[in-house]
Amino acid sequence: MEKSIEAIWKEGFLNEKSLVAPKINDLYNQKSMHLVDKMIRMFRANLTVIIITAIVFPVIHYFLDVLWQGMAASVLLLLTAWYNKRQIDSIKTLDQGTTSLDYLKSLDRWLKEVLLKSEKIARFSYPLYILIAISTIWSAWEKQGLTLKIHQKFPNLIAIGDLQVFAIIIAGATVLLMFLFAAKIYKWEVRLMYGRVFGKLAETITEMENLKH
Amino acid sequence: MKRFPAAKTIQVSTDFYQISVLPFSAIIIKICRAYTNSQEDFEDYYQEVCLQIWRSRDNFREQCEWSTWVYRISLNVCLTLLKRKKSDGKTYFTSDVLPDVVITENKAFEDESLNLLYIAIRQLSEVDRALILLYLEEKSYQEIAGILNTSANNIGVRVSRIKERLKKILHGKIN
Repeated sequence: MEKSIEAIWKEGFLNEKSLVAPKINDLYNQKSMHLVDKMIRMFRANLTVIIITAIVFPVIHYFLDVLWQGMAASVLLLLTAWYNKRQIDSIKTLDQGTTSLDYLKSLDRWLKEVLLKSEKIARFSYPLYILIAISTIWSAWEKQGLTLKIHQKFPNLIAIGDLQVFAIIIAGATVLLMFLFAAKIYKWEVRLMYGRVFGKLAETITEMENLKH
Repeated sequence: MKRFPAAKTIQVSTDFYQISVLPFSAIIIKICRAYTNSQEDFEDYYQEVCLQIWRSRDNFREQCEWSTWVYRISLNVCLTLLKRKKSDGKTYFTSDVLPDVVITENKAFEDESLNLLYIAIRQLSEVDRALILLYLEEKSYQEIAGILNTSANNIGVRVSRIKERLKKILHGKIN
């Protein structure tokens, strides 16, 4: 009597434990590759966004009739992009070590160094962005005659040239605050953009180290 | 059935493979065997499935059993790899027409009847293979429909047709 396919299946797999799973020799190497590739892809995407913004900014500012501020922001963005590109390229020079764990560890060290350097740069670049933004707003207001209106309403306010002292103080205070908080804002931004993948890097290193012992 | 620990627990696990994959390796083996013709391919597919399970571990939301999740990933990976191989120009049996040459390789199991059944299953279309594997694993029509992202309505009819086809292929070969 012929057996049903259900019976063949059931009897064939009566002892599922006898099924031998192939060894996963390369799983962690592949995991590392996947992680590094993802990280590089994210860096490149970020770089592209910066370059596109650097191109779009002057165009928008041109239509707002504040071209110089747009150009300044664009130059600053392009400098950031150039610096980031150099950092991404330097990944190639990382010590690849003998195992993927060595490589991930050197990547982790490299990442910490890069973030520290970028944090220092952000201390100066972020206030500059703020200064450009304030200048843009101020120019737009001035074109609407706001400065003249303030001068007419408060004739006793001290001014240096066309600029009211109170405006300089507010701008200065904002720039100073930005200088003080730039590092924190930068860290927050990085966490928002790369937090997940950085977390996975740390997690994979821990996992691989635990397996090693 | 025992539920798998939540994704958060898996994340902090020191050995994802030992805890989350190995206990479910039978599922992966059964599926990968149905989609490969050689031991080498089988091992490649198995590894890719494991890797994909690791990659998508954070997407597991406990809306289904972990084993169902493993079924889904295994089938998706096998189907994707088959497509990739087909686009590389290698020949695989994907149509509903019986191939001229029956593959007799990959006798991976001790039970000869099971090997013959696998040879027959490999001659089915990709989706039919998935369907019959899930049926043989005693998944309900509803579960099968969920895993294959299809309607449960015609699963029964389709299973009957596949079984008929398998019987035809196996006719006289199994006692």
